[in-house]
Amino acid sequence: MLKSFFPMDRDEAFALAFLVAFSVFSFLPLWRSQELAGMAVFGWLMAALMVLSPALALFVFGRRGRLRKC
Amino acid sequence: MLVERTLVLLYFAACIGIGIAASRRVRGSGDEYWVAGRRVGTWVNAMAIMATLASGGSIIGVMGLAYSQGIPATLALFAGAVVGFPLASLLVARELRNFGRYTITDFLAFRYPSQIVRTLVPILIVVAFTIYIVAQLKAAGITAETLLGIPFEYALTLATLVFVIYVSFGGMVAVTWTDVFQGVLMLVVVLGTGLWFLWEVGTPIELMRRATAAAPELGQVEHRPVASYLGYFAIWATAIPVIPHIVMRVFTARDAHGARLSLNLAMLAYSALILAAVFLIVPVGKLAFPDLADADQVFLKVMQSKFPAAVRGMAVAAVLAAVMSTTDALLLACSSSISHDLLGNVLREKASQRTIDAVRVGTAWGIGLLALYWAYSPPELISQFYTAGVGLLSGSLFVPVIAGLWWKKANRIGGVLALVTGALTYVLVHFQILPFGLAPILVSVAASALAMAAGGLLGPPESREMIVAIEKLHAQ
Repeated sequence: MLKSFFPMDRDEAFALAFLVAFSVFSFLPLWRSQELAGMAVFGWLMAALMVLSPALALFVFGRRGRLRKC
Repeated sequence: MLVERTLVLLYFAACIGIGIAASRRVRGSGDEYWVAGRRVGTWVNAMAIMATLASGGSIIGVMGLAYSQGIPATLALFAGAVVGFPLASLLVARELRNFGRYTITDFLAFRYPSQIVRTLVPILIVVAFTIYIVAQLKAAGITAETLLGIPFEYALTLATLVFVIYVSFGGMVAVTWTDVFQGVLMLVVVLGTGLWFLWEVGTPIELMRRATAAAPELGQVEHRPVASYLGYFAIWATAIPVIPHIVMRVFTARDAHGARLSLNLAMLAYSALILAAVFLIVPVGKLAFPDLADADQVFLKVMQSKFPAAVRGMAVAAVLAAVMSTTDALLLACSSSISHDLLGNVLREKASQRTIDAVRVGTAWGIGLLALYWAYSPPELISQFYTAGVGLLSGSLFVPVIAGLWWKKANRIGGVLALVTGALTYVLVHFQILPFGLAPILVSVAASALAMAAGGLLGPPESREMIVAIEKLHAQ
């Protein structure tokens, strides 16, 4: 099955899986009613996703860039 | 009004000046005109990408939405686009940059050689983006009318003429430099305003606490299922990796690594812009103006009540910059769909360089003026139509592009089937001819993936040459 796909770097595959999993987790209905500091947890999760997703990708690419230079 | 109008006129003059300067560099070169010579640095590209994504909706719209529907729902809508960029950097940026052409149609026509692909993709882009441009123009006209006291038609015409001039003559070089200028202006105004309020109050938590104590609905999710926001989230998350005006930015990067970095740096800046708007400016607006009839006025009201004329003038210029930095990229993508994707082969074979240059400029003017004519009396639901237009593009292009880059069994039949099925399903579900009870984007991407799987598994295997060519695109 995996042979049918072009291979992806392990770190990048992990980042992709994390992004999809975090997105699905954030949309679970239970976060709608739970509140933290006056706001639904769903809102905090969305805010975290907006910062974490590009930061994670930058970390992965930065690490790859450093490894390439070594 | 004099100070505000003067600042806006200076801003317009700066944009035209950049366009004229860029026109000397791009004349006679497709590489310079469409992809700025493929040598845009990481930081410049990041700022240009941020400005391209941040439309009028990212300043006026985001604050109006947070004011009326609460912060969680607003963030759900905007987080989709932010997640789309890391997805794009992981799934398409390196490969498309290594492909080294001008447009997404170039890649799809290479991967799935078919007249249907060569014709349908640019037509979908032109239709979706013309609607998008009209929606942006309407926002520019309303903003200028409200804040500068200029009649809607005059404001619309002036803003359109300015960006058509710099796009048509300066191409991607002008779009890049004006976008950087516009992006900096947006960040300075929104982050500066947010930080000013933060300095006054102390911490964002304290600001939020006060605002949600006075208006608890600001922090609550509206009374509908969280899953109902999934459609908007999915539209933008799947659109960003394939939407032409963003993909063109990948082609402008110096190399694949720079393209990937710039996409994500842009999103850190964009997230800062959105989070400052909803966590720092909207709570102040909610406390000061709790009963606004038109929620979209919240930013403008805050600026009018708290800051002097010079800052208000910068705020108007920042809103216009947000509109124009998106619209210019859309116009260039539309223009490339016609003069490069649809007419490119004919022009390359039969036309002189002078004629090719004239067609590029003429196409941009034609689309710009058509959108302007339509924007004089835009349909009431134009804002919803443009989201649907973006959905149509992602529903039809997402699977063919991603499968074409990553699935070895993706073949010409699968690609064409996925493209046509995605587009048709999106239209049928959106207009409820096929009532599914799910967001059109979710249905169309699933249908498109099924069509790709059927074509790939049942059709003839892809040639060895094509597999080798795609392997090369994945090279570091």
